[in-house]
Amino acid sequence: MNLREIIKGRRAVRDFKDKEIPKEKLMAILEAGIWAPSGSNIQPWEFILVTEKAMIEKIKLISPGLFGNPAVIIVLCINRERAKRGGKLGGITALMDISMAAQNMMLIAYSMGIGSCPIVSFSKSALKELVDIPEHVEPVLILSLGYPKFWPKPPKRRPLEEVVHVERYGRHFKG
Amino acid sequence: MKDTEDILKDDHFKLLAFLITSARGCVVEPPLYGPLRLVDAASRLIEIMRKEGRVNEQIIKLQKMIKERMDLVMYDEEMFIEFLDELSKELAKMLKSE
Repeated sequence: MNLREIIKGRRAVRDFKDKEIPKEKLMAILEAGIWAPSGSNIQPWEFILVTEKAMIEKIKLISPGLFGNPAVIIVLCINRERAKRGGKLGGITALMDISMAAQNMMLIAYSMGIGSCPIVSFSKSALKELVDIPEHVEPVLILSLGYPKFWPKPPKRRPLEEVVHVERYGRHFKG
Repeated sequence: MKDTEDILKDDHFKLLAFLITSARGCVVEPPLYGPLRLVDAASRLIEIMRKEGRVNEQIIKLQKMIKERMDLVMYDEEMFIEFLDELSKELAKMLKSE
């Protein structure tokens, strides 16, 4: 698969096989995260890797948006102390950094046949309590990972002609 | 009293946890996620009823409809709302038949 195929092929997977993800693949996914772009190279992220089934079950209980039985969960967090270095924009930049790290992770996962789903519907306060996240660290995104039972069909995308403006806003791309 | 380990495996407790955390989520999530969480909870409740042998074919049909169509919320709002109407209508048919 080339990069374009990987980008276009990735889907939000919510139904997983009961199959473990090898450690080296997990390391590749996590490593892809730390190679994401980062505003002012602050790298405000902290990743919590959860592989214990009992803890995954507990996280599912406090995450209404988490479907299926993922083999692994990665909790992506912002370290607010680090993010402060970005000044007033630090908070929003940190969110962008986390998003780019998550995308890197999901794309490399897909390239290895592993499905993923980004989830924001979870209880932050409950998750912080469950996995001992300190006060200055904020969980902002959960990635569920596992081998998919099936790859969902692609959802509709807004066409380029609608989304792209050429040279000036309002001059729509004509193809 | 049950111990915590047993409670964590209890389907009623799982539904309870889902309801509490959904309530908090609904404060900040897209407005249609409220209905989504409610029908998801309904499906989970039917699952509990099914395990306890307290369902009939009509109730199973409601759960099937939910499982098949609740994802519409992410792709087509109008179709999702239409699905909620159909679900309510299906429930009414069941009430009417008694």
